[in-house]
Amino acid sequence: MKTKYLGGVLAAATLLCGPAIAADKGYPLDDDITFIVPYSAGGGFDTIVRTLSPALEEAMGATVVPENLPGASGTRGGQAVYRADPDGYTIGIFNIPGLTVSEALGRDIGFNLGEITWIANIAEEKYAIAVKADSPIQSLKDLCDLGRPIKLSDTGKDSTSSITSVLAFDMIGCPISNITGYGGSNDTMIAVMRGEVDATLKPVSSLSKYTKSGDLRFIVTISDVTLVEGVPTTTELGYPELAKFGISRVVGAPPNMPAEIVEKLAAGFEATLKADSVREWAAGTSTTLRYMSPAETTAMMDELSQFYTGYKDLLAQ
Amino acid sequence: MGFDALLDALLQVLGSAGSLYLLGGVVLGLLFGVIPGLGGTTALALLIPVTYSLEPIEAMYLAGGVMGATSFGGSITAILLNTPGTAPNAATTFDGYPLARQGRAGLAIGAAAAASSLGGLIGLITLILFIPIAKQIVLSFGPAEFFLLTILGLTAIAVSVRGKLLRGLIAGCVGLLFAFVGSDAISGDLRFTGGIDYLWDGIPLVPTLTGMFAISQMIELALKGGSVAGAATQASKKQMQISGVGEGVLSVFRHWDVLLRGSIIGTIIGAIPGLGGTVASFLAYSSTAQTDRDPESFGKGNIRGVIAPESANNAKDGGSLIPTVAFGIPGSAETALFLGILVLHGIDPGPAILLYNEREIYGLIVALTAAAIGASLIGLALSRWLVLITRIDAGIVVPVVIALSLTGVYVLDGRMADVLLTIIMGVLGYLMIRFDYPRLTLVIALVLGDTAERSFHQVQLISDGHALDFMMGRPVAVVLLGATVFTFFLPIMRKLRLRRGSRA
Repeated sequence: MKTKYLGGVLAAATLLCGPAIAADKGYPLDDDITFIVPYSAGGGFDTIVRTLSPALEEAMGATVVPENLPGASGTRGGQAVYRADPDGYTIGIFNIPGLTVSEALGRDIGFNLGEITWIANIAEEKYAIAVKADSPIQSLKDLCDLGRPIKLSDTGKDSTSSITSVLAFDMIGCPISNITGYGGSNDTMIAVMRGEVDATLKPVSSLSKYTKSGDLRFIVTISDVTLVEGVPTTTELGYPELAKFGISRVVGAPPNMPAEIVEKLAAGFEATLKADSVREWAAGTSTTLRYMSPAETTAMMDELSQFYTGYKDLLAQ
Repeated sequence: MGFDALLDALLQVLGSAGSLYLLGGVVLGLLFGVIPGLGGTTALALLIPVTYSLEPIEAMYLAGGVMGATSFGGSITAILLNTPGTAPNAATTFDGYPLARQGRAGLAIGAAAAASSLGGLIGLITLILFIPIAKQIVLSFGPAEFFLLTILGLTAIAVSVRGKLLRGLIAGCVGLLFAFVGSDAISGDLRFTGGIDYLWDGIPLVPTLTGMFAISQMIELALKGGSVAGAATQASKKQMQISGVGEGVLSVFRHWDVLLRGSIIGTIIGAIPGLGGTVASFLAYSSTAQTDRDPESFGKGNIRGVIAPESANNAKDGGSLIPTVAFGIPGSAETALFLGILVLHGIDPGPAILLYNEREIYGLIVALTAAAIGASLIGLALSRWLVLITRIDAGIVVPVVIALSLTGVYVLDGRMADVLLTIIMGVLGYLMIRFDYPRLTLVIALVLGDTAERSFHQVQLISDGHALDFMMGRPVAVVLLGATVFTFFLPIMRKLRLRRGSRA
């Protein structure tokens, strides 16, 4: 009885004081912002978060603390964001469309992507197909005319590039044999150099390191605009639907986040992507920065979800 | 061009604040090496945020200092406490600890120090000599070669556990079973995860190693009570005196063949991504014991059994940089973190890394060299006091080591499940000590199993099902196949020779 009464008083006190305390400083000054990275320190996701953080701190006027929560193919970090309070002090970067595909295939990723509050799209990346520099294969047509399934190298069957390979070559109408299990995307490109596979489909920026060094040669970029001088795009070759494929670095927050906090965060990211330090870094590492507002990001996420759900049967093979 | 950059880097280390970062790295590396459960990977992972404010080259000195120093630090604990300070020192316990119990810890530490420095040096010289053909080397090792290397490693398990072959094989099979947990590298299917999403990525190595080697030994010590030196009944007094360090250093020169063999094995295994120092030192040890004229003396305090693994686990750093200088890709967990540091500084490592980041690469090489030598010197100077660890009562050593190693495991990824796994592995490891099953065999099988399975699958797919034909067409693969067959028949050949000898 007594405890209940006490509890009531405490609740009332919190109700009264809560907004008062918040009004004291207001978001985002009350606490540090935790930026969850679902992969280990030193990787691609970690790097972009750590590079953006100082500029984001400046834009938000609050301390940003990157936190690595690796595990279970990026779902563990996503779950942590999903379970946090939507107070704006926990945000995370998401592996898209990796998680979208997992969800489309009906896998349990521990949360519902559709419930995440999307803050911004910060960077994107397009794919290309490359062969060994001295390979007789000169074009996508040559690759398809090998008279046998095309051997491609990839990391895991669930990796975004592997999924893109399966879908893209199905749309083009060429049979492939996707050899997965390589340690990292660099290893898949070295497999092409060793000659054990015919080609590989990878992000343009990763491949361009090896095309510049003269080890690999682009045959096509999977895009609607020319990304590499002299290399045809899939749209030019008559496959416009392929331009949808790519990787997005998307920032999300816990479900049901109040609109004003979303706005503040989105504005913070918009300013961050304009910062000199970030632009310089992006140019040095051939990263394509691309800001999208919360509404645009949410629309993109829905569209991607529908797109991949449409290919559920093909992917489940 | 290469030597100019090397000289430049050397002068810079000596001249500027570089030496301060280097020294800091070495001390940190030694410390993380000595403490079981904390290793080079943990140290580097913790340092990543610190390197933010540093110049890339300064970060390299710090990272190089850590990388070069941990494995010697770990050998001290391996010799004195029978607990490898870092996993690559596991093989050092086989002969290092018996030596310590015979009151010859000084000899073992001296040999470990010299073998670490010289092994590291040989690995780095090999690296520098091979830089011009680094690309060809990396390209000649594909899935076929990876697969055969792992088979060679697994064969070495069978022949290394003298006298307890069956137990060794059982432990190895359990390790292989553990290796199958998690998503299949090829199909992505989940196996043996029991509905626990922690196991999706397989059984992680660091918690397993820490549990198997550090926690298990601490349980053993706690149950026995007393102190390590007390537990070692014979010659416990003599153990306290570090004598014969000089002799130990000299012994490495006397057994230069072992040094060379260990360093070469270390360099090669180091260059193979995913295998690492534990496998390198294990292979160096087993191959040395196997081809020795008196294999029975190993495991009882043969100094050659200390030199082989210690030279291998430092030489592996040089080897692990071969894929790095060729294509900007990591050859080990440590080089992966090192590349991560470069990325943080806005450098994108790639095949042109030597062209654009020559300064950083040679800086790291110089730092590694200096660290390998410096760590040994500092370690030797401190060895007199370090030995006192063995005198401390178990009531103090055990909680401190357990707390430190569990914290280390937690810090790496911030997962409580890692800590739980470490404890489980610790109990399993203790049971293995208690019932006399070799723990290292389990760990080696766990490390190799993953690569073996994956690369075999890949060879099958690449060769359209004609794996053997494909392998026979690759020269490196043929050599490895020959070495595997040789290792397998070695004990039989020796037996035959002995029989012939006794008949004569």
